[in-house]
Amino acid sequence: MITFDQVTKRYPGSHEALTNVSFSIERGEMVYVTGHSGAGKSTLLKLIATIERPTNGTVLINNQNVSKLKESTLPFMRRQFGMVFQDHKLLYDRNCYHNVALPLAINGITGQEAGKRIRAALDKVGLLNKEKVMPITLSGGEQQRLAIARAVVSRPSILIADEPTGNLDRNYAEDIIALFKAFQQVGVTVIIATHDALGNANHQNKVLHLNQGRLTNVEVAL
Amino acid sequence: MKNWLAQHAQALSLVLRRFKKNKFNTLLICLAIGVTLALPSILYAVLDSVSGLTNSVKSESQISVFLSLNHDDAAIETIKAALDKNSAIKHFKFVSKEDALSQLQAADNNNDVLNSLERNPLPDAFFIEPSKLDAESIENLKGNLNKIDGVDSVIVDGTWIKRLNYLLLLGQKAMFIIAGLLAFALVAVIGNTIRMQILTQHAEIELSHLIGATKSFIRRPFLYAGALYGLIGALFALLITCAVILLFNQSLAPLVAEYQANFSLNLPDLVTCVIICLVSLSIGLASAYLAVSKSMFKPIQ
Repeated sequence: MITFDQVTKRYPGSHEALTNVSFSIERGEMVYVTGHSGAGKSTLLKLIATIERPTNGTVLINNQNVSKLKESTLPFMRRQFGMVFQDHKLLYDRNCYHNVALPLAINGITGQEAGKRIRAALDKVGLLNKEKVMPITLSGGEQQRLAIARAVVSRPSILIADEPTGNLDRNYAEDIIALFKAFQQVGVTVIIATHDALGNANHQNKVLHLNQGRLTNVEVAL
Repeated sequence: MKNWLAQHAQALSLVLRRFKKNKFNTLLICLAIGVTLALPSILYAVLDSVSGLTNSVKSESQISVFLSLNHDDAAIETIKAALDKNSAIKHFKFVSKEDALSQLQAADNNNDVLNSLERNPLPDAFFIEPSKLDAESIENLKGNLNKIDGVDSVIVDGTWIKRLNYLLLLGQKAMFIIAGLLAFALVAVIGNTIRMQILTQHAEIELSHLIGATKSFIRRPFLYAGALYGLIGALFALLITCAVILLFNQSLAPLVAEYQANFSLNLPDLVTCVIICLVSLSIGLASAYLAVSKSMFKPIQ
């Protein structure tokens, strides 16, 4: 589903953020991307989400070479992904409901159908009773869950989360991870970047460990 | 097709919601656009009405040729023949001194004075309507007429109309220049407003871009906003123009009555209204497009 072959990413006027990275991710997998901050985790996620293009090497998403896609087709590629951003990127000028509505609007889904899906997504993350609430009033964990609701509302086949548990205490973090697992169990490919040492029982998943832009370790625990 | 329509409806309703949310600001911007547009519109209405007035007078503009008192009938015939041949003359009419006197007697009640005269003091006259109305041809014609034997004096009527026409021409030029300059002002006002909105919507734009919105999806609401500013501004401009013209007409009426004339400034007709709206809408759309392309799509690194 996702294949990286000798991928290098260099930002203009900067060092190489990723160097010769190769791996592949199958449909329905749950994958952790680990490493220190600055190791290239976010860059890797951006390359997967076709927000960035590689400097060298090939990135294949559903057998399509991202480097060869026209700029105008990239938005349609991106719609296959549900993104949970490191800084949430919630919109504070509108309530929870309308935050979750944005991806649907981009996909041209409005009206009753949109309403049903938005409430379903909010329900899944446990925020159904807060649809009219402004996101600024939510706690950190709730904001994170709202960001997840927004990421899954358009039913993406791949869910990408950048440090989703970064600022949360342990209990909240476990809730969030459980939420992602639930999505994986219904067939969604889940990719999570984290700087944590992956505390507990997370070793049953594939782990891509990055160190200074190089993939040092691909573990597939059994 | 249905999807396309839905997307446009979505963008339009979004813009209307934003307008409603910032009623006061929207009103101010539209008012500024309205005032800017009203200026050339009022000028146009005035020029249009006045030039309509001169058009109706223009046909009366003519050259009067008065013959000297001591000439015979044969001279009149030669002059008639000469005028017939002259291509610069569209049409002429001969009024003999007897006709002129009887006209004067009919028109004036000072018959005593006229009757007390020993002889008819009036000359024979030709009234000529020139085929070309520009100053040079009329000047040429006047010179030629003066050279004819038996002609005492040549008087060009309606020179003031010509002068007025030149003034109107000047006014028209001024109007176009003002309209052109104000169009730039409009581009600046609308463009800046849209740019401010882009700044306030920055988070949404960035996010939409990241999660798969196309450029046209992001651009669309701003284009609608620009076009709507233009359209609403034009409606304000028409309101202002009509109000000013009605106000002018109120003050004009007693003045015009003094001259026993019938003149008032015309309200803009439907075609003019539609043109003003369309022009303003296009300016709004164009400046929004300019602002959006200038400030929105900087390539992501």
